[in-house]
Amino acid sequence: MSDLLFQSPLNKAELTSPGGNIGLTDESATTKILVRGQGPAVAYGQSKLLPNGTLICGSRPDEWTFLAGPGKSAEVQAGIDQSEATTIVDITHGRAMMRLFGPAATQALAKVCSIDLADDLTPDGAVFSASVAKVTCDLVRSDSQGIQAYLISCERSFGAYLISAVADAAQEFGLGVPAELSLH
Amino acid sequence: MSSHRLPPQPGEVIDRSTVINFTWNGQPVIGLAGDTIASALAAQGVDVFSRSMKYHRHRGIMTADHWDPNLSLQVDDEPNVRAGTRLLAEGMQVSTQNVWPSLQHDVGVLNKAVGRFLSAGFYYKTFMKPKFLWDNVYQSVLRKFAPGGRVHWKTSTHGAYDKRYAHPDVLVAGGGPAGMAAALGAAQAGASVLLVEMAPELGGHLCWGNDAERAALDKLTTAVIAEANIEVMTRSTVTGRYDHNWVAVMQGDHPLAPERLVKARVGSLVVAPGLIERPLIFSGNDIPGVMLSGAARRLINLWAVKPGQRAVVLTANAEGDAAVKDLQAAGVEVVEVVDVRTGAMVASAVGKSRLQKVVLEDGRTIEADLLVTATGWTAPTSLLNMAGNRPVYDPQAARYFPENLPEEILTSGGIAGNGSTDELIAHGSATGVLAANRSLRLRHSRRAATARSRSPEGPAPEALTDTRTPLRREAHPECYRASTHGFVDYAEDVSSKDLIQAAGEGFDSIELMKRYTTVTMGPAQGKLETVNAAAVLAESRGMDLADIGTTVWRPPFAPISLGALAGRIFEPVRRSALQDWHEAHGATALLAGQWVRPDHYGDAVAEAQNVRNGVGIIDVTPLGKIDLQGPDVAKLLELVYVNRWESLKVGRVRYGAMVAEDGVVSDDGVTGRLSENHWLMTTTSSGAGAVWEMLEDWLQTGHPEWQVHVTPVTGGLTSINVAGPHSRQLLERLVSNVDLSSDAFPYFSVRQGTVADVPDCVIWRIGFTGELSFEVHVPSGHALAVWEALLAEGQDLGCAPFGVEAQRILRLEKGHYIVGQDTDGLSKAPTAGLGGLVKLDKTDTIGLPELRAAYQREDLPILVAVQPDDPTVLPEEAAQIVDGQTATILGRVTSSRHSPTLGRSICLAQVAPQLAAPGTVITVLMADGRRIPATVQEHHAHLDHQGARQRV
Repeated sequence: MSDLLFQSPLNKAELTSPGGNIGLTDESATTKILVRGQGPAVAYGQSKLLPNGTLICGSRPDEWTFLAGPGKSAEVQAGIDQSEATTIVDITHGRAMMRLFGPAATQALAKVCSIDLADDLTPDGAVFSASVAKVTCDLVRSDSQGIQAYLISCERSFGAYLISAVADAAQEFGLGVPAELSLH
Repeated sequence: MSSHRLPPQPGEVIDRSTVINFTWNGQPVIGLAGDTIASALAAQGVDVFSRSMKYHRHRGIMTADHWDPNLSLQVDDEPNVRAGTRLLAEGMQVSTQNVWPSLQHDVGVLNKAVGRFLSAGFYYKTFMKPKFLWDNVYQSVLRKFAPGGRVHWKTSTHGAYDKRYAHPDVLVAGGGPAGMAAALGAAQAGASVLLVEMAPELGGHLCWGNDAERAALDKLTTAVIAEANIEVMTRSTVTGRYDHNWVAVMQGDHPLAPERLVKARVGSLVVAPGLIERPLIFSGNDIPGVMLSGAARRLINLWAVKPGQRAVVLTANAEGDAAVKDLQAAGVEVVEVVDVRTGAMVASAVGKSRLQKVVLEDGRTIEADLLVTATGWTAPTSLLNMAGNRPVYDPQAARYFPENLPEEILTSGGIAGNGSTDELIAHGSATGVLAANRSLRLRHSRRAATARSRSPEGPAPEALTDTRTPLRREAHPECYRASTHGFVDYAEDVSSKDLIQAAGEGFDSIELMKRYTTVTMGPAQGKLETVNAAAVLAESRGMDLADIGTTVWRPPFAPISLGALAGRIFEPVRRSALQDWHEAHGATALLAGQWVRPDHYGDAVAEAQNVRNGVGIIDVTPLGKIDLQGPDVAKLLELVYVNRWESLKVGRVRYGAMVAEDGVVSDDGVTGRLSENHWLMTTTSSGAGAVWEMLEDWLQTGHPEWQVHVTPVTGGLTSINVAGPHSRQLLERLVSNVDLSSDAFPYFSVRQGTVADVPDCVIWRIGFTGELSFEVHVPSGHALAVWEALLAEGQDLGCAPFGVEAQRILRLEKGHYIVGQDTDGLSKAPTAGLGGLVKLDKTDTIGLPELRAAYQREDLPILVAVQPDDPTVLPEEAAQIVDGQTATILGRVTSSRHSPTLGRSICLAQVAPQLAAPGTVITVLMADGRRIPATVQEHHAHLDHQGARQRV
């Protein structure tokens, strides 16, 4: 399947601001594996980055989401300790995902998400679910080199709407938004 | 117009080097940067800014701030702009509201002649008879006299409104000395702070104070700006306080939006709004030239505007005394100081478009064009009222004070008491420290209880005790009304006479009086009027003011634009992976719930015929899909469906219907068993979310011992229905590892395989159209490839896409009902015709007792297929089925279409049980009033009720 072209609901969008204040990119092709039941030792609400680049997110009590590079479903699943009480579902195709990043990322997200995003309550690595522009989303605070970043994923069918809504929020901070992504 | 601009004043906020051009009622005018609209016009000698609502009396500046009832003006396309605080901008077109034909010559003034008919409660006494005049005469006339400006919504040019969330530890409402000090105290104690001030600048009364007060302001401002933990919003209002310190802020100083609603979840709320100066009731108290001491002092000190030439000052406090000094320094001749503290009082004011003379209680008449009053304060306790607090009146101080506040709300500044600048700052600072302590303790517990947060370092901060030195309650004369009557509510044109009349008519509680007379119901919402109204009521009833009570202030604290409440418009829509293709190929979009779907590609009838005769494909992705895994899935299905599931074999599919606890049909769909412990459930499109939540609910609360994991996969699997006599032939060209023959893959079976080189597809042999059909569920990232491959490989078979409308025709021909369209919120299982499916002998199924009861009843409506006797007549959906020529309703048409296959109209309908027998002729009442006969059919299916077409 890795030879097949992955069609993203976000059309591989890559939006940036001239000064690097904020950016928004399509991460929908990310391999996303949902594990329920008995899973890894990563607490609910927290995440852990493995040396191979896989990010394990404690999405809900007794529920984890493994995030890895595109096309790594089999590899990730092979690495999961499976027991009879464990359920594994590849949700790569079912979730749109975007990365909102930059020094203004938190301010932009605060326009569409009511969660307290302060560093102590939502530190780097925090995993949580919330409404983003009225869409139920899973979010991960995933900073890179000290720059704030959030992975935002939602049910795939909401993806096109959601990236428009998040881009609309980020426009205030300099994000260039093409007409086809305009919310209004 | 002559200039009333003073020479430079020490604390002025205007930039004399920057001239701003604008228009006033069409005439070009100039102002200065830093001017408000009102100050710029006053500097140009404008006395009359508006006409009053009912009597169209001349009105001028009274408070020169947000609460000024006379300064609601139209600015460009925006009505009701507060000219007392709105800063002047280049090119503004400012005009009066509610006048015709002009401010100077307003015919509305004729209302004065009928003023005796417009007294208290006239709304309830007039325009009642004759009733027929209401629509054509009364309404249209009243609308012409309606106050307020006009919204030019077709040509509106202002930007979109905005919204954001905030989570400050401490929110300080009010940016005066106490508020600024509270913000600093809280921030320095480690709290994040949001400081909100209504005026364009911080400082409160220090802004127009003396040298020492301005020096204190400079020091506070410098400190606030330097403090990184403080976010400042000016021209912004804390509009509401709700449960758990959810606080709404209307931000007015944002550069990108005219207004932004900030929804703040606050640890501690510090209420420090200062005090609002209260007018005195006397005859002529609304004449232009009569203004409050704060207005005069602001005009002089902030904007260097001389408010008049000859002034009488009525003073009961230090602010009035300070006004005397300011007026004298500005070159205004203060001809009389009437000191209430010595027993003196003003009796009335005389004038029309400008004050001409003032009559004193001692009988003297003084010529003057300015009367400045300083007779007391109203404590704006709105935010405290919203927290359930009822302020208590203190007759010694002649104002209300809050008492017994909840821990998460603190007060400081004038609302809490009196003090010197240093005392206010000290109290504010201590309040800020206390607020921070309470908030940080709360934050500590939140961090400890929040899964995503960083664990708190160390124990929670020790709780501080409230050791603040209370602010004083300075004695103040109780002066509310002179010996004459005057206006209490300027915005509503309600006078003290009106209130006394209302009390005499029996409306003698403050809440009843408010509603009857509309006093305090204007834009200021009682900030200027509440205490005076209560005082008049107390006087008329011979009671103490403390015993009268007050009206309850509710949100919003100040008027809000409806657009600001709407904010950004977020309307989520869902799109399948194929929706772009549909739109690129001419599909007409249909919004079905949140989903955007292809209704048709130009000719729905042709699309339906192509399915009957060849092969078509439709995107049915919105179909709900839920992945079920675990050894106890069958038990779950037995619980939620009305039929049996334990016996379903791997590779087989079964139709199931769900009912709620009341036996009403709630959802339906097919579920397939992919392997021993792996099932895939489908639901209706609209019911997918609710079914998922219901399954999780039962698993987490009803049967936590069952090993089942439920995962919604609706969007992850793009669903393509391949339907028509050639559907198997087409799929055989693309499916590489599944035998699609009828023997190997019989009707109601499911397989997993590869389609168009895309693995992990789920292929169902089911259908909704009545034709041989397969439903292919494709991982959505590859759905377009499969869709296009189907069209390409099926070209010689005539394969074409069909939309929702064609599907609706086909399913109705086949007689498949749709939950929610052919059933409703009262349709129990017998109505939907589920008799053979429902297993009443099961041990447990949701709604089982109600189902058993329902099947004992003989009065439930029945869903039947109906055909109009005239095949060309098509009843509308929801058309009533009636008893002959009577108005007795016996049912309704739930679905109707013209069938291209049968060449006639066909329907499903819910009918009373006595009409459900096949062959019964019923009467359908058409929208145009005709009553047409139609005949009940034997089966739901109008076509191929035995299923021969789909079982090949």
